[in-house]
Amino acid sequence: MITSIAHATIYVLNQDEALDFYKNRLGFEVGDDMQVEGGFRWLTVYPTSKPQLQLVLAEPKEGPMFSKDAAEKIRGLIEEGAFGAGVFETEDCRKTYAELLTKGVEFIQPPTEQLYGVEAMGLDNSGNWFSLVQRKK
Amino acid sequence: MVSNNKLKRLHASRDYIADNFQTSLSLSEMASQSYMSQYHFLRAFKESYGETPNEFLIRLRVEQAKNMLITENFSVSEVCEKVGYTSLGSFSSLFLKQTGMAPTLYRRKLWALSSEAFRFPSQVIPACYAYRFLGKWPR
Repeated sequence: MITSIAHATIYVLNQDEALDFYKNRLGFEVGDDMQVEGGFRWLTVYPTSKPQLQLVLAEPKEGPMFSKDAAEKIRGLIEEGAFGAGVFETEDCRKTYAELLTKGVEFIQPPTEQLYGVEAMGLDNSGNWFSLVQRKK
Repeated sequence: MVSNNKLKRLHASRDYIADNFQTSLSLSEMASQSYMSQYHFLRAFKESYGETPNEFLIRLRVEQAKNMLITENFSVSEVCEKVGYTSLGSFSSLFLKQTGMAPTLYRRKLWALSSEAFRFPSQVIPACYAYRFLGKWPR
């Protein structure tokens, strides 16, 4: 039986800038930030109250996984907003939305009533979409 | 459940701990950042974050120590001091408890695994990532 998810990947254009965004704007904590052999930077962040789920902030670069062409295509797709970072939950969507706006987070949809709760949609500084959701109780 | 206002105050303490973990921090000093009594602070912190302030502090110190042991050439005593411990014995036993290895053994093992000086070996990250980004098949 699988019990939980420990890591999920968000592809970003620049790890330093993404770290600044997730840490200083969204308020995430840094999990690991280490230089691994082979020039790879292993960088993870997590929401303060959930260290069990680490989000890996990874740059698509030429290497074993991507050819140069594929890495460039992925970067282009990130810039176009083709990818999503996922759904972030909050106790109070409107309040968190207002807080994040003051921190310069860009939103493409303000808090809106949905069947499952209140949801706003934002963009990280690479162009990944994310939902900010307050679940119905 | 902890109220939003209380949570905000707890965040202030948590940030304070994160910013000052290399110094000797007392519970009263941590609690004062949240304007709570030590007792209430301890309870609310554990309820909100799933770990006590001291557990959080130890985790930060050990994580920093792990990093320094691999990427820096400091002695274990120097690392111990730099992450906020005055007693090498306490530091070593907390490190052992968190990682399952004494600091010297941790350093020796990871340095031996890495093909580059002062870099973490790929084995410290999940194999699926090591394979995808570094082309290293798990051994």
